[in-house]
Amino acid sequence: MSGPTVSDRIIARQDLLSAPAFIIYSEKVKAWLSNSLASVKLTVFLISLMAVFVLLGAWCPQTSQSGQDKVFEQFGEQTGQFLINIGIANIFRSPAFLLLIGFLTVNIIFGSFKHVFPKLKLLKIPMPWLTANQILKMPVHNEFAADISLSETQNRLSTYLNKKGYKVNFNGQQLTAEQGKFGRLAPTVTHIGLLTLLAGVIWTSLTGFSGFKPVIPGEVFQFDNAEHAQMWLGKLPNWSASVSETHREDYPSGEPKQWYSSIIVKDKNNKVVKEQTISVNEPLSYEGVDIYQSSWSLKALKIRFGKELRALSLQPMGKLFAAFLPLPDEAVMIFSVRDAKAPVRIFAKRKDWPAPKLLTEILPNKTASLGNISLTYEGTIAQTGLQYKCDPGLPIVFVAFAFIIGGISLAAIPHRQIWAYLEKIDSGNTLVTIGGTSKKGKISFAKQIANLDDQLQKVSTA
Amino acid sequence: MIQISISEVQMTVTNIAGITSLLAFWAFVLGNISKWKIKIYQGAEILILIGFICLTAGIIIRGFEADRFPLANLYESTLWFAWAILGGYLLLVRQFGQNQLGWLASLLSTMFFLYGSWLPGNQQTITPLVPALVSYWRQIHVPPLIISYALFCLSGLASLLQLWYAGRLRSLALAAITITLAIGAICLGTYTSIDTAWLQLLFVGSSLVGMFLSWKSLPKIAPARVNTQKAEIYDEISRKSISIALPLLTFGVITGGLWANHAWGTYWSWDPKESMALVTWLSYAAYIHLRIHHELSAERLSIVSIIGLILTLLTYLGFNSLGFGGLHSYGRFK
Repeated sequence: MSGPTVSDRIIARQDLLSAPAFIIYSEKVKAWLSNSLASVKLTVFLISLMAVFVLLGAWCPQTSQSGQDKVFEQFGEQTGQFLINIGIANIFRSPAFLLLIGFLTVNIIFGSFKHVFPKLKLLKIPMPWLTANQILKMPVHNEFAADISLSETQNRLSTYLNKKGYKVNFNGQQLTAEQGKFGRLAPTVTHIGLLTLLAGVIWTSLTGFSGFKPVIPGEVFQFDNAEHAQMWLGKLPNWSASVSETHREDYPSGEPKQWYSSIIVKDKNNKVVKEQTISVNEPLSYEGVDIYQSSWSLKALKIRFGKELRALSLQPMGKLFAAFLPLPDEAVMIFSVRDAKAPVRIFAKRKDWPAPKLLTEILPNKTASLGNISLTYEGTIAQTGLQYKCDPGLPIVFVAFAFIIGGISLAAIPHRQIWAYLEKIDSGNTLVTIGGTSKKGKISFAKQIANLDDQLQKVSTA
Repeated sequence: MIQISISEVQMTVTNIAGITSLLAFWAFVLGNISKWKIKIYQGAEILILIGFICLTAGIIIRGFEADRFPLANLYESTLWFAWAILGGYLLLVRQFGQNQLGWLASLLSTMFFLYGSWLPGNQQTITPLVPALVSYWRQIHVPPLIISYALFCLSGLASLLQLWYAGRLRSLALAAITITLAIGAICLGTYTSIDTAWLQLLFVGSSLVGMFLSWKSLPKIAPARVNTQKAEIYDEISRKSISIALPLLTFGVITGGLWANHAWGTYWSWDPKESMALVTWLSYAAYIHLRIHHELSAERLSIVSIIGLILTLLTYLGFNSLGFGGLHSYGRFK
């Protein structure tokens, strides 16, 4: 184990004894703070507390995601208001949660530097050479006589352990073997990953921005209304984008399969610099900004009543979209359309009718007469929902992800150390004293050591 | 000549897997009271192997039938879960040679076969994918998560056996009742129209009270039941399962973040399902810290692992059946 030796501690203590009282006191406070903030018990407590917060956040709809209505819908007026008032309905932005994240960050930093990173030094320290008596004191050990010479035992032991993935070293009659040395790096790599993740998230919050923009074809949009942190060091792009066309692809059954939007990017001089058709899972990237296909709908229906052209707002109704035109005497005219190519179906509904009545169907760019009024269906106006974001910390976050996955995967590798002492006994036989340690997979390791004499026999016959 | 459709072949092999799983459970139970224990256990393991092979075939055929990667709804995920339980058990029994986990693993996989086959039709039939799911990320993100959930459950079951061999019978009974109530709440949420608020209360309330009592009962030991060697082995099985499952969960959560970033421009949005996956991850992160730093005894670690099992059930099935919302609502049936 690394850390101060006894003599280091005595010298440090003597230094303290000769120091003024306030220095001693401040050193004690420092040590106490450092030990407390790096404590594993604190880690587990904070992790558990965070789990409770996240659980509450998963249970209660979050106003930042789905608005207050969803909270009232799920819990009723009174309970919903209570959850909003105490902050559970916006728990991930509550001061308590942010404080908890802050504490956890401090704990990770202190824990990493106190317990985790110092273990890197252990990788450089070679295994000590042990005597037979020292080996016999280990919790996992075995002693047996091999009916072969000392050099042959060395060869077979070395071959067998190499096959099992151990790196073997000899020093005369003594042997050391080590396996899964890099498994010890697991906590270090994981903690580096967690700290890198924090760095990436902080960098994004300082310099990144995001937003959502519903756009109809022909409309030009910029990023003026982008959301970003209050303390912000970034800048918004000076280029613009427009949607030249958008459409929906359906399965034969009528369900939406994919949404597409053709995006044109123009620089500040209005010069086209990029054109791309995006879809869900296929975004456009330009100068660090990504534009995503997020949603899609039909926004309006173009109907010409005689000579007057009107755009009727559409609402999604399951697989269909519908527009409602109020008429006198509480009657209503309903226009229902499935997609841009399908005909519009026109219904009328009066208060005393049990159900709407179908009046007519009109194909796009066709005309029909209703009484003495001619109606021309001139198609639909689609609206594409575009999400955009600039995330400068993302490469750092990706590196952090790689570290975290790597670190946690390394944890599955058991680190094992074996020591052996070989001694020549009567009639050319060899007494093998072998033992070792393994923090993981102790049972299979103990079996391996216990069956070693049989295994050495097999090596000889192989 | 008899014409058999691809759908019928898929149903047949899946049903064979379900039946062999059920038969394996009864074989393990019979083995425990029979004098031909070893032979019956061997037979039960062969049944599990047959079930595993049939289910592998069933999942592959389902993929051909749907003309897509066969993991897009709750029914298909239950097949993957049962597959991972059977496969995980076969790997663990090969390494540790302990059969008692067999009856619990085959019981759990049988329950998942039944749960899947009793799901409403809209969760079983092959339907077109919504635009968000039309991505290669689906096959990267979802399988590691389902397999990790199965391994966490196997770890929790091994922990129950650890408590048994450590003579902690009262703790074991309380933990078993708690798991039963949690599963009961999920089943009621799936198959009945009981108000989800009551079911959430049943799940959370019974889990909190049950696991607290189980923890507090650990000092009560039945000395006649103690088998230290076996208790150590089941502790090791539990640790081994978690050591494989945690990297898979981490990979699944992170690839989910990468997919979300690719599709929506944000890798984390505190969606309930991803929050639940984080809770599960945090619980096992706590387990790892407690284990590495020797803060708790093996029995207390078993209780932590069982709490992890309950959280895994909540993340995987409780999310849909107990009425949570969010972006991962593809498996919802209410």
